[in-house]
Amino acid sequence: MKGLAPLFLGIFGTFAFSWVGLTLIPNWQIGHLNPQSDEEGTDIYPMPQSGMVTRGARVYAANGCNYCHSEQVRADYSGADIERKWGDRRSAPRDYIFERPVLLGKMRMGQDLANIGARAPKEEESLSPTGGASPAPQGAAASPGAVASAKAASPPPATSPSPATAPAASPGAIASKPPTSPGPAGPPPSKSPAAAAAASPAASPAPSAPPWPEQTAGLPPMYSAAWHHVHLYSPRSINFDSNMPSYRFLYETRRISDARSSDALQLTGSDTPREGWEIVPTYDAKCLVAYMMALNQSHPLKEVRSTGASAAASPAASPPPAPGGQPAK
Amino acid sequence: MNATGIPLKEPAGSVAAGDTEQLERALIDASTRVPVLIFYTSAVAWLILGTLLAGFVSFKLHTPDLLSDISFLTWGRVRPVHMNVMVYGWASMAGMGTAIWLMARLCRTVLRYPLLLVAGAGFWNLGVFLGVCGILLGDSTGYQWLEFPSYAAIILFVAYTLVASWAVLMFRFRRGEQIYITQWYLLAAFLWFPWLYAAGQLMLFVVPVQGVLQAAVGWWYANNLLFLWFGAIGLGTAYYMIPKVIGRPVYSYHLATIGFWSYALFSSWTGMQRLVDGPFPAWMVTASIAATILTLIPVATVGLNHHMTMQGYFPLMRYSPTLRFTVFGAMSYTVFSLVGVLISLRSVARYVNFTQASIAYSHLGLYAFFTMVIFGSMYYIVPRLIGREWRYGSLIKLHFWASAYGIGLMTLMLLAGGLTQGASMENPSLAFSESVESVLPYLRGRSLSGILLTVAHFIFAYHFGLMLFGLGRKSTVPTFLNPVEAEGAEVAH
Amino acid sequence: MNENTPPPEPPSGQGMDYSEIADVHEVHAAVQREKREPRVGREPLSIWLVAVYGLAVFFGGAYLGRFSGNFSGEALDPYGGEMPTMKKVTGPQGAQPEAELSPHDRGKKVFAANCQTCHQANGLGVAGQYPPLAGSEFTTGASSRPAMIVMKGLTGPVTVKGQKFGAAVMQPWDKTLTDQKIADVLTYERSEWGNNASPVTAEQIAALRKELANHPNSFTEPEILAAPDEDLPGGAPGGAPPKPGEAAKPGEPPKPHG
Repeated sequence: MKGLAPLFLGIFGTFAFSWVGLTLIPNWQIGHLNPQSDEEGTDIYPMPQSGMVTRGARVYAANGCNYCHSEQVRADYSGADIERKWGDRRSAPRDYIFERPVLLGKMRMGQDLANIGARAPKEEESLSPTGGASPAPQGAAASPGAVASAKAASPPPATSPSPATAPAASPGAIASKPPTSPGPAGPPPSKSPAAAAAASPAASPAPSAPPWPEQTAGLPPMYSAAWHHVHLYSPRSINFDSNMPSYRFLYETRRISDARSSDALQLTGSDTPREGWEIVPTYDAKCLVAYMMALNQSHPLKEVRSTGASAAASPAASPPPAPGGQPAK
Repeated sequence: MNATGIPLKEPAGSVAAGDTEQLERALIDASTRVPVLIFYTSAVAWLILGTLLAGFVSFKLHTPDLLSDISFLTWGRVRPVHMNVMVYGWASMAGMGTAIWLMARLCRTVLRYPLLLVAGAGFWNLGVFLGVCGILLGDSTGYQWLEFPSYAAIILFVAYTLVASWAVLMFRFRRGEQIYITQWYLLAAFLWFPWLYAAGQLMLFVVPVQGVLQAAVGWWYANNLLFLWFGAIGLGTAYYMIPKVIGRPVYSYHLATIGFWSYALFSSWTGMQRLVDGPFPAWMVTASIAATILTLIPVATVGLNHHMTMQGYFPLMRYSPTLRFTVFGAMSYTVFSLVGVLISLRSVARYVNFTQASIAYSHLGLYAFFTMVIFGSMYYIVPRLIGREWRYGSLIKLHFWASAYGIGLMTLMLLAGGLTQGASMENPSLAFSESVESVLPYLRGRSLSGILLTVAHFIFAYHFGLMLFGLGRKSTVPTFLNPVEAEGAEVAH
Repeated sequence: MNENTPPPEPPSGQGMDYSEIADVHEVHAAVQREKREPRVGREPLSIWLVAVYGLAVFFGGAYLGRFSGNFSGEALDPYGGEMPTMKKVTGPQGAQPEAELSPHDRGKKVFAANCQTCHQANGLGVAGQYPPLAGSEFTTGASSRPAMIVMKGLTGPVTVKGQKFGAAVMQPWDKTLTDQKIADVLTYERSEWGNNASPVTAEQIAALRKELANHPNSFTEPEILAAPDEDLPGGAPGGAPPKPGEAAKPGEPPKPHG
């Protein structure tokens, strides 16, 4: 090449082309989105994050959680994410406008977390003995037989729980199941959203047979804040085959002062601390869990079709109907 | 392990002793000694650290309880440290070292303002060190290859401006009319990197762009770093080393031009290939996939150019370490691009997205292509700086095969593992943990390949250390990989 | 190819001081045996390579053209799927302006985008899971009941055409679909698959929306059956039946509806 000028021009030009085309133009198109609201100006989605959640996002980034977990739900034509109950609909740009940093993630050594907060048990159900007829997913309703059959990918046996018993997902119900040693014999309680989906009648994504598998007795309800703490402290007490590192440095071991503090982790097996000691989360751990509980994209978006057939009532909407809770007429 | 006993041979096309061009080159080499060796030594040190971290990361993936409860050894922090040490510590510094020597040689002037480079190297090392400490202590930003906290990033940028200003000055004072192919690539790399780095840092951390664009900018940066910084330096180096070692001209100027401009145009658009099916307007992802398809143009062009240049000289790879490493790297570049096209297509991405296949792709580009080409260049350049030859040909051979098998095994393991993982994930009747369990044996295989690579790097570092301490061979005959038998073999190195 | 060494340039004195560096001799040996600095040949381009370029440009360009969703910022679906339901016109993606289609056809699009997954394109649903709409007493009866179901969803067991369903939950659509869309889809359902019931207008749905504004999500079958099986007021001619929404609020006197 002879001329220096064309060389320089070309070098700058080709880069400018990519910079403008792939970052500036998209910024012009989707870089200034507003949250959506309905006609009355209420029901705004998404909402800006609170302080603990923002800090939790930084803890999440700083500890490299996004090197194993993704936070994006693919459309049903691109992947099985929705069938796995990781979301009712695909993620859209508007879902992330208040997040910083946005860690979509590129690897799934652990399941997708975009809606992990949506899978948390509702306050009402975790307290009421019957659990209500809500489609909100709870743990521990699929029988071990169902999980076993799901793992073998065969049709569910007739012993799968009927919808009437399914919502009995409170801690009391969990405790009443035959206690299993840490890690049940047979298929471990893996994070399989679809296991019970296969186990429910007619292999449909039925809300009454929740898609989350059974877990060991004695643990908090699945995907509750307390559960997240136990999972971070000791992943293998929840899922024996898990590869997730344990994050014990986010927790403190301290002496019980008067009574056990409400924060203390409910651990089982070999993880339980010695007599008179308890394990409590640090502030960073609490922020991290707050962040995860806030990860919730289940609110419908006008520009995205909801395809989850058993699309649960979005948490932003009213609480799920409990029997007798509505004026019958 | 004995020095190759080869009778001294006059180089082909020999020039009379005392030829001014030779003296020029000798002076240039001597002037580049200190800065280039500083860069190389730092790079090799970071390589060793990065390799140890890589082993740590790989093993912890399938044995998670290994040293897991210490905050600065948790997998999620060690992994970005490994990546950044390799990218900014090893690859960038070794690449800059080679680029400095190449620039000096091609500009045909002694290295001026070496202090700029020495300061640059010092600040760069400081930046990487601070960045590494920052990440381990919990300041990682979370964006791939931009994890260094801002206090380290700014130092890196300052270091870089020192190096870049040197490059511009050298170019300003170059002699000769022609601007050789390598110089296009190197100049482009030196101009693209600061813009890229600044844009990435500003748009992600200073502005920052809203929402999901952060991910888009992040991956635009990461892919462009791979192509426009490392790829450009790697291709430029190959364009120098191959014709230089075999003594024949590059096949075609036109191919070189087309290859360069199409590379510049298309490879910078491929960033979104890592975010296929993500929450973005469809056109962004489609544009990147189309660009990835179009990068087959420069790949075919450069590949043909190198191949035709080498036509009839492939047997020389038996002897010349530089040629062997460089041609391996150049061929890997083709493989890397083809794999990239495959895994970006939406129908394939459905299965390989979110799996280990993407790691295979990154390592193909950074190791099988870039690192191998740089190894080749170091085997060529270091004797010219030190005035000694590499001591043991067998060690170079061992290094080559360990690296080649290591990266080959790793690529196979991760691609196969990724496909298995993806197929399991796509089957909703299988529990999610099935996909993780199905990839575990492949991850163990990858750890095995990591052992091979560790061996390779330790051998190289030891060998390099020997050279550094003046323990190389004193000889006028270069170190070949195999004894040169035939008289007609025109192996001058 | 011409391999002759061009005559070396005489030293111009620009920084090339030969007496400067003592260890020139140390590096000299390596330099001496080197081949000359690389240069470039001038072979012409092969026609086969141009063919490769053509193929690459063709496939890349075709891919770009086909899957870009018109380069719109809102088109997330590369296969040209459903356009956003926002009011503004987003571009000619084969979608005719809404006003030109009949309510039945508009409703068909809404159905395809939202209801078809469960109730199936033939309106027959899935046995044991999703109730059919074809011939369903809810769909083909008076318009208030199906409108209530579409607006607020349905939970719990329900019997349609003698079969029991209860496994799935129907989500509410009042927040996702506009009045016009709900009216259109009801019109479609009530006139497709052999159904032959009266159409529904957007005004009727708007009125219903106001009535149900305070109603928590999801009706159950008993509540639907408790509501009078009357057409929504304001559309089909007829008397002034009590409002469907009011049936769910005990204690409120029925208001005359204009």
